Amino acid sequence: MTTTAEQAFAAINEGDSITGTSFQPTRETIKRFAEASLDFNPLHFDDNFMDGDFGKTNFGGVIMHGMQNFALITRTLTDWLMERGGYHRRLETKWLKPVKPNDTITPTATVSEKRETDKGRWVLFDISVSNQNGDRVAVGQAMAEFPDTLPIRS
Amino acid sequence: MTSDPNPSFETDFWKDAGARQTWDEIIPGAPRETQPYTLTKEAIGDFAEAMGETNRLYFDEEYAKTTPYGGIIAPPTIHILLMFACTGTTDWMRSPGTINASQSWFYNIPARPGDVISMQGRALDRYMRKGRLFVIHDNVFTNQNDQVICSGRGWTIRPN
Repeated sequence: MTTTAEQAFAAINEGDSITGTSFQPTRETIKRFAEASLDFNPLHFDDNFMDGDFGKTNFGGVIMHGMQNFALITRTLTDWLMERGGYHRRLETKWLKPVKPNDTITPTATVSEKRETDKGRWVLFDISVSNQNGDRVAVGQAMAEFPDTLPIRS
Repeated sequence: MTSDPNPSFETDFWKDAGARQTWDEIIPGAPRETQPYTLTKEAIGDFAEAMGETNRLYFDEEYAKTTPYGGIIAPPTIHILLMFACTGTTDWMRSPGTINASQSWFYNIPARPGDVISMQGRALDRYMRKGRLFVIHDNVFTNQNDQVICSGRGWTIRPN
């Protein structure tokens, strides 16, 4: 029997938590991300450039694209939502710490609220990404809709 | 090999660096120069693979046709590619040392292969905080039918 979006929404509870697949960036994955996203900022490649200071900050080496982190969170959400008929509506993130080659980062999304509006069923998530030391490298919020019909154009 | 309908991309972000607006020169409210970008099935697949996506919806047309989406769609994060694809070498988002502090995105409908994507972008505000130079910008991506794909805001720390 096929589950409707309404049934899938009803089965979700505040406090439910999704842990995404961990990711370990390397110089190779960073290069791959740059080629696919066209973001060739030398922050992500150039060791000499990264020896310098950025205002008061010195990163001490190349860093992963922040948007790789954003993409990892998104994949965690969409993989979970799509099999339930949910639609990923919004993601807001703030980067707290740089991620460097050979760090391991893991995203977590926790249902913070469920809400129905005139025309929608909504699930809100608190987002957190931690590194191998348990430090939070990114935090944020996300929002998903469970519509009767997915928002795809005719 | 499939031909790419888009112009080749300059990967050296130092090129034209002197022609880009600095923090002092960026005018909040002024539109950024943009160009349309044609999204191909190949670009979607390549991007999705690099993002670590494994969902066949982004790669496999036969499978995608069996889903409620009715065909391949791009992952929501495709705007990461679109921002650079729709702007030129003098756009200030390419300034080496631009640091991403925060982003928020709202997704309206998915982008699809063959879509001709347009971008409207501008800085909204610039300010200093704790010794850093910030710019807030917003971007809206639409398809060839003027339907909004997604809209976003970002906070970047500008090189000094």
